[in-house]
Amino acid sequence: MPSSPSFLAETGQLVRAVGRAMGVTFRNFFRRPVTVQYPTVKRVYPDRFRGILALVYDKDTGEEACIGCRLCELICPPQVIKVEMLKAEKRNFAKTFTLELYSCEFCELCVQVCPTDAIIMLKTFDLATADRRELLLDKDRLHALGLQHEPSWATGNRLRDMQAPPKPAKPEARGQGKSGGNADAGEPAE
Amino acid sequence: MPETQERQVVEIGYGGSERLVMNMGPQHPSAHGVFRAILTLEGETVVAVDAVIGYLHRCHEKLAETLTYVQYPSIASKTDYVSAMTAELAYVASVEKVGKIDVPRRAQYLRVLAAELQRIASHCLWLGTWCMDMGGALGGGATVFLYAIRERELILDLFEALTGARLLYGFHQVGGVRYDLPAGWTARCRQTVAHIEGRLAEYEAMLEDNAFFLARTQGVGVISRELALDVGVCGPIARGSGVNYDVRRAEPYSSYQDFDVAVPVQTAGDCFARYRVRMAEFRESIRLVRLVLDGLPEGAISSRPGVKSVGQVRIAKGEGYTRIEGARGEVGCYLVADGGAKPYRLKWRGASFSNLAVLPHIIPGHKVADVVAIMGSVDPVFGEVDR
Amino acid sequence: MARAGLADPATIMPPFLQHAITGFIVLNVVIGLVTYVTLLERKFAARMQSRIGPYYVGWPHGWLQPIADALKLMMKEDIVPTAADRWVYNLAPIAFLVPCVLIFATIPFAPGLGVADLNIGVLFFLAVSSLEIVGLFMGGWGSNNKYALLSAMRAVNQIISYDLPFVFAALVPVVLAGSLQMSAIVEAQTGLLGWYVFYPVLGQLAFVAFLVATLAAENRVPFDILEAESELVAGFRVEYSGMKFALIQLGEYAHMIGTSFLGALLFLGGWLGPGSEQWPLLGAVWFLLKAMLVFLVVTWVRWSFVRIRVDQILAISWKLLLPATLLLLMTTALVVALQGARAV
Repeated sequence: MPSSPSFLAETGQLVRAVGRAMGVTFRNFFRRPVTVQYPTVKRVYPDRFRGILALVYDKDTGEEACIGCRLCELICPPQVIKVEMLKAEKRNFAKTFTLELYSCEFCELCVQVCPTDAIIMLKTFDLATADRRELLLDKDRLHALGLQHEPSWATGNRLRDMQAPPKPAKPEARGQGKSGGNADAGEPAE
Repeated sequence: MPETQERQVVEIGYGGSERLVMNMGPQHPSAHGVFRAILTLEGETVVAVDAVIGYLHRCHEKLAETLTYVQYPSIASKTDYVSAMTAELAYVASVEKVGKIDVPRRAQYLRVLAAELQRIASHCLWLGTWCMDMGGALGGGATVFLYAIRERELILDLFEALTGARLLYGFHQVGGVRYDLPAGWTARCRQTVAHIEGRLAEYEAMLEDNAFFLARTQGVGVISRELALDVGVCGPIARGSGVNYDVRRAEPYSSYQDFDVAVPVQTAGDCFARYRVRMAEFRESIRLVRLVLDGLPEGAISSRPGVKSVGQVRIAKGEGYTRIEGARGEVGCYLVADGGAKPYRLKWRGASFSNLAVLPHIIPGHKVADVVAIMGSVDPVFGEVDR
Repeated sequence: MARAGLADPATIMPPFLQHAITGFIVLNVVIGLVTYVTLLERKFAARMQSRIGPYYVGWPHGWLQPIADALKLMMKEDIVPTAADRWVYNLAPIAFLVPCVLIFATIPFAPGLGVADLNIGVLFFLAVSSLEIVGLFMGGWGSNNKYALLSAMRAVNQIISYDLPFVFAALVPVVLAGSLQMSAIVEAQTGLLGWYVFYPVLGQLAFVAFLVATLAAENRVPFDILEAESELVAGFRVEYSGMKFALIQLGEYAHMIGTSFLGALLFLGGWLGPGSEQWPLLGAVWFLLKAMLVFLVVTWVRWSFVRIRVDQILAISWKLLLPATLLLLMTTALVVALQGARAV
């Protein structure tokens, strides 16, 4: 056994250390649990939440916004999007549009490149199913999802505007959503 | 399959000692991913370690040859998935260096911000999983794990407000970053960082003085300075052994030269030293986050227009190696560009891959229980190891 | 109940039947207690970790969770490894469970309320509780699994090393009370400050040593290298599934509660408390509360610390705890002898 004073000092230190550790646990006993009782209580998702994908209709004309240009199909890293174009007189449409959600990476690149803001992401991820075939989304399903759930902030044009180098200052300065000015580029709370 | 070294399966010596070969297999609670260690035990003492990796190989380097420069950054985050921001940064930094593309200052500061916040989050995960390995999923380790994850979730909430994703972000693009700060984010970031700083004191109270913790970590897994330099370990492991090297200070990238990065170094080289280095890195990252937020310049977040087509970025012929300081050490990309939209060849230097090489040198002689303590303090992420 | 034609059941029943019935009742109560103690531990640990614990089964607060767990384990497939030693493997859970439950035979829950208040009660308890090591090693050996074997070897080392300090720490109240009979030890702790935990210096030291030895004898963190989730996954239990696993869990928690009861009895005054003289059942309730207090303290320690290595555990036992408890016991004996000599 080591000499008395250092043994007592060691024991004292051990007791103090034990007390500190148990004190931390004890203090946490009285803190509110951080559990969120999903699904009765849902977390507030941020504006830019990248959830499941959907196709939308044009706000002004009510037509399908997708012109079948296949840019999203080309950029998708895991190649989950397959589009066939349908040529028509004034504008093109997508004849078929399939998205394999089970392989989707949710990287938002398809949203980024879409010239007409047709494909967007929604503020929900809740599409769990027992059959994988239900996650092979076709055009009708994608449009239906777009109507059912709240869209996220990001659309192709908004993302590209945010990333673009600032344009030279114009006399009539445009209002919202453009980057290149503020420390916090505010996004409209839409 | 080539055998690296001769292994004796069961050896009954005349001295009565019998060796047991035990497989700490790819499926194991403390394998930190998928790591197979074939341990040769004599009683409780490990005599030899045969490390087998490759269970998470997903052909990143081949993938990079088939994906363009705008597609790959979101895939790059999946190498070091615990510290995704730094992984993406390694790739885009190498593309920008080979292609001689400028990055605007605001984007550089945002990259530093993301990298340092990610370092805090990654170290939270390290602390939690390491203590869980040492303390058991039913026991004090799990308590520290849940506290650390609780704090990590706050940073992931910040990233979620910034990019929309919690783990694999796709934040970086060639020429800048993809997302700018939303309204109210800086205030929230400051609040989060202050909260985490307070909680750090609690973790240290739980662990630092604790005789059990010290008994498990002091003197365990000592990596001498010579061994660290010979094998080529990097990051907190090298700094725990007295090698005063940090890429952020040695070859500053992305405007790290504007910040005086204080590099914590310990000389003991054991698990406790590595723990102290990472705890100091916590505080250093918090300090850097505050500095960045204070000095964030205005301007564009990308020097190139937003991505509109898949072949938008073309890099002229050239090659080069770029390294950054990830949470686990030096992460690097060697890129060979041939003028097209896709790289000709990409080679990842994973920090954990080099760090794992030190295990067969330091584990023999320790007990089985020390194997998990050492592995936890080396903190491998197998996305980086196997790519 | 001396009415004509009727007599006290206790006198007409043969003693073995009486003991069998009380034993059956105690066994059922113990098993019920064990299942709900698991829920208590899970909720307590959860609150310390900023989470809630079982909640939905038996909403709210998971009151039916232990029942659900028991049903699940009963319905699980019973997998026996092909190369396992059949007899040893199958008998191990029983060999483990029986001593763990047998210790409750000697614990008096209230004056006169117990299966058998032996006059060597404490000795019987300590002796039988160390028999669990046999079942443990049988489980580890019979599983034909290197992890289980490693864990069983560690367990044998640890439990044998810590049984001695455990016994010495438990003997301090015995020496102070002068009897091995459990009810006599409780009777000697009358009055609030008469509890042996309040006995100056010796009582507190003995209590602390008892708690530490309990942690080790129960394979609780920081001494749980036996199961060591992160190294050996489940230790000697790794190859067991279904009802056999349930029996092992039952045995482990029963042992845990048994030593908590012993601690409450030896150090915290057993069933003594306000109102326990008039209503023995109230005394039993006090006893239960005190045992739960000991259990919660042990649980609190468990969820606050990392574990230490096996060689460090053995070093603590042989170099620190054993000499300390031995010294403590001898000092207690000396003190009691001096007091007795002074009284004479």
